Amino acid sequence: MSTEDESFHPLGQEWENELETMLDDTEYDSDLGMQMAEDAMRVTKGELSEADFHEKYHDDVMEEFGVDDRPTEEAYEEAQKNAGGFAEMLKSVDSDGEESRRGMMKKMGAGAAFVGLGAFGASEGGSESEPNVAAAQEGDDTEQDVQWGMAIDLERCDGCLSCVEACAEENNLDRGVNWMYVLDYEDNGVDTSRNRLVRPCQHCTDAPCEKVCPTTARHTRDNDGLVLTDYDVCIGCRYCQVACPYGVNYFQWDEPDITTEDIEAQAQEEMGDHDHDSDVPHDHMSDERGRWVDSRAPRGVMSKCTMCPTRQDGGMGEDAVGTTACEDACPPDAIQFGNMFDDNSDPQTYADNPARGRALSDIDMSVPSADALEDDLDGADDDLESVLEASEDLDEETLRIMKAIEIVSEDFGEGDASHTEYEQNIVDAFDALEAHGLDLDSEEVLVGLDLADEPDEDEEFDGPDESAAQTVLVNEAGEPDSNFQLLEDMGTNPNIIYLGNEPGPQAEQVEGPVAYEDVEADLADGSSVPLADNRKDVLDEMTVGDAGVSL
Amino acid sequence: MSTKTPSEDDILRPMHTFTKKYVLLFAIAALALGAFLVGWMYQLQQGMAVTGLSDWGSGGGVTWGLYIGAFIWWVGIAHGGIILSAAVRLLGMDRYMPVARLAEMLTLAGLSAAGFYILVHMGRPDRMVTSVIGHYHITVNNSPLVWDVTVITAYFVLTATYLGLTLRYDIARLRDDLPSFSPNVGGKQLPDLLAPVYDVLTLGYTKAEDKVIDRMVWWVALAIIIMAPLLLHGGVIPWLFAVLPNYPSWFGGIQGPQFLTIALTSAISGVILLSYAFRRAYDWDHIITDDIFRGLLLWLGFFCLLFLWLQLQQLATGSFHSTTTHSYATASKLSHPMYVGPMLMVLGVLVYIFAQTIRPSLFSKGRAIAAGLLVLTATLVEKTYFVLSGFWYPSFNIYDGSPGEYFPSVIELLSIAGTIGMVTLFFLVLSKLVPVVELHAVEHLRGDHGHGHEHDHEPVEESAEQPEVEA
Repeated sequence: MSTEDESFHPLGQEWENELETMLDDTEYDSDLGMQMAEDAMRVTKGELSEADFHEKYHDDVMEEFGVDDRPTEEAYEEAQKNAGGFAEMLKSVDSDGEESRRGMMKKMGAGAAFVGLGAFGASEGGSESEPNVAAAQEGDDTEQDVQWGMAIDLERCDGCLSCVEACAEENNLDRGVNWMYVLDYEDNGVDTSRNRLVRPCQHCTDAPCEKVCPTTARHTRDNDGLVLTDYDVCIGCRYCQVACPYGVNYFQWDEPDITTEDIEAQAQEEMGDHDHDSDVPHDHMSDERGRWVDSRAPRGVMSKCTMCPTRQDGGMGEDAVGTTACEDACPPDAIQFGNMFDDNSDPQTYADNPARGRALSDIDMSVPSADALEDDLDGADDDLESVLEASEDLDEETLRIMKAIEIVSEDFGEGDASHTEYEQNIVDAFDALEAHGLDLDSEEVLVGLDLADEPDEDEEFDGPDESAAQTVLVNEAGEPDSNFQLLEDMGTNPNIIYLGNEPGPQAEQVEGPVAYEDVEADLADGSSVPLADNRKDVLDEMTVGDAGVSL
Repeated sequence: MSTKTPSEDDILRPMHTFTKKYVLLFAIAALALGAFLVGWMYQLQQGMAVTGLSDWGSGGGVTWGLYIGAFIWWVGIAHGGIILSAAVRLLGMDRYMPVARLAEMLTLAGLSAAGFYILVHMGRPDRMVTSVIGHYHITVNNSPLVWDVTVITAYFVLTATYLGLTLRYDIARLRDDLPSFSPNVGGKQLPDLLAPVYDVLTLGYTKAEDKVIDRMVWWVALAIIIMAPLLLHGGVIPWLFAVLPNYPSWFGGIQGPQFLTIALTSAISGVILLSYAFRRAYDWDHIITDDIFRGLLLWLGFFCLLFLWLQLQQLATGSFHSTTTHSYATASKLSHPMYVGPMLMVLGVLVYIFAQTIRPSLFSKGRAIAAGLLVLTATLVEKTYFVLSGFWYPSFNIYDGSPGEYFPSVIELLSIAGTIGMVTLFFLVLSKLVPVVELHAVEHLRGDHGHGHEHDHEPVEESAEQPEVEA
């Protein structure tokens, strides 16, 4: 940058001009954008607080965009409580291509985005960048308001391999093609039962496999962010498998065991009953766009975990949308699948408060049905003690947890995520109790359940104590020490959040509680085939001149 | 130099002889290629499971193996054409003119073998056109594999153009002595089938174009020489690996220069072997002289030095205080015979070459051949190890199946013999059709600038195209 350069922008006048032109292309006020950009740059330098920045332009932004959802709003409201957040956020924006830049500008308010991308365009995106990525994509021509992903609670996984089996059955996979893979490991010699990793495809927002593909066969589905392989386009060069740092790809080295006819017949049988979207073919192979991306791959092309596009497209009925085979099969509910863009989705809610999620899942079997409660309570008094005494299935501890869950939850029992079914059962039970005359929000009940402090004589009862409720849940269900995304430093922006221990660089796989060979998958041709841990053992049978030696 | 005077007859000799040895070599080469083609057909029929490959990670194997190692090796050998063209066309080192065309042909043959490996390696080679070309405008922005295909194709086209242009001069002058082929099929005498080939090659030729062609050739040579080292083995081929942070033994900027030095050592070795074979077969002692071998050997020594020096850089940075996974990868290098062996072989060649420079009596053609063979073996093994080591020591090395097991299957091993056979056949056929030594070289050795007249043998520094070089 020359000394004459008047640009406020670190990348110089030329860059500034270029972006100004881009702003002119949008429907919004370029001057406002540039002015905001200049001030936003001051924010990143610390010369202007986020709160001040927000305040200064709030009216202009409202006038121009009709809404001010700039990321500074929170800072404004919390008055710098969270100083540095905005600048950090800008740093993490990844300027990957023209489209996302434009999208960013429209969404975030042109100036802020301009600075963020220009000044820090080269920075690596971390997990913090997800809201930005989401914002960028929302502004694109192709609207993406869904990003499927998972929260996986590693401390809940008991290594039963039900998910691996369910995946093999759902997709009719060959032996050793473990799209879903569960492994135990030892880290620095420390072996605890919690050292376990559940490894589906991470469906990365910045998928390296997609980047290196010489054919576009490996692609991200625009509307929901699933990373899929078009089996009709793939040439089988295996570069995606090489580029993926997680090792989630499985090449179809030979003719698959299950024919497409068998898969289709099975699909007709199972999907035929469902009331599904007519756009989705009944074959469990083509997705709603008509591209062959689901079920096992044909010979000579690459395959990996798909996160069940046929389900997400409504091909298995409305109930199956937002679920995966592995999630459905998991006995301890360790897998939470849903929309990562939605704060109320299963994975986001669960990751936000794992103790709540665990308790909700645990308690579900113990929550008495409304009918049972009505029968039990018939004729009983309506105080807490009498109710608990009269009810066969409801004890104090269960009710305490049920109530604690409700206290820490927002929008309890609302929404279409899977966990709301559990919540709904609790709501029904509560309704039955209320109908009987027990006021669950009363001082008597809340104090009786240790979910509120008893007020002093001169104080008014101030309702439930949220932290007490949270403590109840943590004591009951436990809380993971950490959450993480796998190999975050690779810049892949994975869409799976793990709760539990992160394996270190010296972690080594050890035998798990259940051997792969001891689990059988029922496939479309009627056969029952044991799973295989190591694909090479299966493939060696076909190697020409396999002498059993290795380099 | 020999006492014999090089003549047109010398360079026409391959086209005018037909020996039992030729037939035998042809048969062996064809058998090797044929055997591999059968293996490949079986692979196409059964799937890639016939190889020793598997999925890396939980799959317990390696995704890429000997096919990719050999692919890199052949592209490396194909660099022979660049070095010799650079030496002769751009730097005026006319000493190497007699082997320049052989080297350029080796480029075409090597690239063909490499291209063949890309097909052999793919699960669905039938989709090469529809899937790759059809999405080229999108994928060329991202995929290093597409960059590879692009640069290899460009290199092939440029080299073929270059060869085609320089052949016009020779064919136009030697036309009457070039072979004809008019078979009698079912009692019917067919016209000369080769005539159209030569006609096309010399289409519209006049002597007036010689100077223009010389200038064109100079520019094409310059383009190739800029492109090939910087973009091919110093660029896109190493970038297939070097841009992937998940493999410590691959990742990093040194792979460009490292690949280039490996390519140049194998390329020079290839030219040494090829030149020796032709000299022996056609009594070309006076054309491909001992002096050429000494010079090539010296270049080989220089590139071996660079090769080892860059390996040393990697060993130092990989073992001093590297990350956990990087140190695993480096520890493997220091102990694995597929790495240590090639390094010692190259070191041995280096020591020999420097020794014979100090003491010329140590030179012999046999030893030069041995040096070439050693280096070619070392580079093939090292490149294969390089590919495998990435999968053996990935950053995410938690899997029990990692490092994976691998031993090339019979079909994979046959591919080496098959592609060597293919390249041999390429030369056996080509040498029967066109002169593999430039007419210019003969003229230069003779010291004349005209055509077809015997002159007294005298060394001349200036060649006919010299002024164009400076243009």
